[in-house]
Amino acid sequence: MKRLTRMQIPYRVWMFLFIVIPTLILFVLALTNMNLYQIGAFDLTLDHFAIFSKNEIGIAFWNSFFYSSITTLICFLIGYPVAYYLSTLPNKTRKILVSLMIVPLWSNMLLRIVAWEKVFTADSYFTDLTGISLNLIGTQTAVVIGLVAMYLPFMIFPIFSVLEKMDRSLHEASKDLGATDFQTFVRVTFPLSSSGVISGVIMTMLPAMTSFVLPARLGLGTISLIGNVIESKFMKEVLGSSGMSINEGAVLSLFIMVLSVAAFMMITRVDKEGETLI
Amino acid sequence: MSKKLIELNDISKSFGDLLVLDHFNLYINENEFVTLLGPSGCGKTTLLRLIGGFESPDEGSIIFDGNIINDLEPHERMINTCFQKYALFPHLNVFDNIAFGLKIKKLPKDEIVSRVTQTLKLVKLEGFEERSVSTLSGGQQQRVAIARAIVNRPKVLLLDEPLGALDLKLRQEMQYELKEMQRQLGITFIYVTHDQEEALTMSDTIVIMNEGKILQIGKPEDIYNEPGNQFVANFIGESNILDGIMKEDFLVEINGKPFQCVDQGFSANEQVEVVIRPEDFEFCDPDATHLVGVVDSLLFKGVHYEINVIVEGREYTIHTTKYRAIGDTVGLSVEPQNIHIMRKSKS
Repeated sequence: MKRLTRMQIPYRVWMFLFIVIPTLILFVLALTNMNLYQIGAFDLTLDHFAIFSKNEIGIAFWNSFFYSSITTLICFLIGYPVAYYLSTLPNKTRKILVSLMIVPLWSNMLLRIVAWEKVFTADSYFTDLTGISLNLIGTQTAVVIGLVAMYLPFMIFPIFSVLEKMDRSLHEASKDLGATDFQTFVRVTFPLSSSGVISGVIMTMLPAMTSFVLPARLGLGTISLIGNVIESKFMKEVLGSSGMSINEGAVLSLFIMVLSVAAFMMITRVDKEGETLI
Repeated sequence: MSKKLIELNDISKSFGDLLVLDHFNLYINENEFVTLLGPSGCGKTTLLRLIGGFESPDEGSIIFDGNIINDLEPHERMINTCFQKYALFPHLNVFDNIAFGLKIKKLPKDEIVSRVTQTLKLVKLEGFEERSVSTLSGGQQQRVAIARAIVNRPKVLLLDEPLGALDLKLRQEMQYELKEMQRQLGITFIYVTHDQEEALTMSDTIVIMNEGKILQIGKPEDIYNEPGNQFVANFIGESNILDGIMKEDFLVEINGKPFQCVDQGFSANEQVEVVIRPEDFEFCDPDATHLVGVVDSLLFKGVHYEINVIVEGREYTIHTTKYRAIGDTVGLSVEPQNIHIMRKSKS
């Protein structure tokens, strides 16, 4: 037991340095008038919460909600059938297809975004190769396609992992009791896969809601999600321009963090063993 | 007598290169309790899945009530299955599990309620309606699975080793209850098991299978007392199988000694196999019998002792309530009607 306790030390140090301290800094920045570059005396204040009344923040939240909802819906509509199909395949084919889906996730996200950017630009290598000119850059469509492509695997995997583990004899029992294939799906398969669907929705919606590089690049800066606002608040401070913007960024970040924690608690409630998480 | 309900004509089925059923023929009567008995991999579960509609035969036809049903989907057959691992729906409570089939058929709500309640009473689970199936014990889940099948009033109920996961006591109780249920409901039960005792206890007819073929069909008593070949004799209960020579009708020679028996119709001096059940041996005065041996081992089995006696170098297993110490010299006798003669299996 004692040895095990000692082996926790690096992990605890790591947690402390990179999770606890940054979170504390966020709290301090959000709730005080501390200036990050002149750390000294500071006072508690709730002034930064006024940022929620600003019009651009409202729009950014709405955009985040709107784009992440559309993305999640499309991901679900594509992802569920894909996951279902995968779960019916023989083991070998299934492994190949699943790894085909995982491997692209290992490549850098920014790289994939830039690739989409090239595809959507009017005059690109993609146009040279295929003769098709997709002049979509800077449009809503480009952002939605980009988000769907980016987060689709996060919808497929949790649903797939639930469907894969589902007892085949339940389908047989349902058909045995008089249900058609469709009735079996509606009454047995889908309800039993709901924990995967909830995990998938949260794992797609949250990152889509807070993504900022993708809307910035594929939307050419015309579409601002909450992530873009936070980024600009922090960047302004780093570039040394305006006064209290990093504190406002901290407020927004904390708000997103609360949402994430709530979502995570929801996942752990529907899926106690965490088997749908990747 | 009764009407044929299911006929299997010349059924063959293979999975890949493995021939699981080999030109299989069987008919099953109405209201019969039929048990398919055999070791694992003998094709009994495949046979059940063919009747249930989860597999279709490569060759041959399955006839149900006069119609060929080879290509009917499971939900189009008037047959319900009680699955090996119950396959209860984990997202539904006991009531909804049992009502599943009735809701699919869109029966009126009050009829569903009354039929489910009635069935719960039959399987002795009154008051369990709202319970989640995951909180039930193995035996209770088993009853829900049976209730879920019989509530649809099928003509045939298929049971795939339904008692396999239960402990001995519960299994014996359920055997009795299943038999009772079958009698009350008048449904044909087709029961798959590898447990010979279960088969003997419950069945009207036992079908002994091995390697995709039927070895013997018959009433439990007949199969036990008159096994058709060595495999059946070994599979159903313990047996002493000895080499013998049929001297004439009603006289067999074992170890060079003559024994009276009740079998006839063999040619003179035909090589045969002789089956004697362990419980059919009696101890007797060593001077009055041809079988004299020494007790080699002794096991206490509760109701009886299992005693191995070495007679002229061959071991005989005996089940008896009488105690004999290891090393005792004993004489063994067998009544003529307990000596069963089989033709040598051609291998």
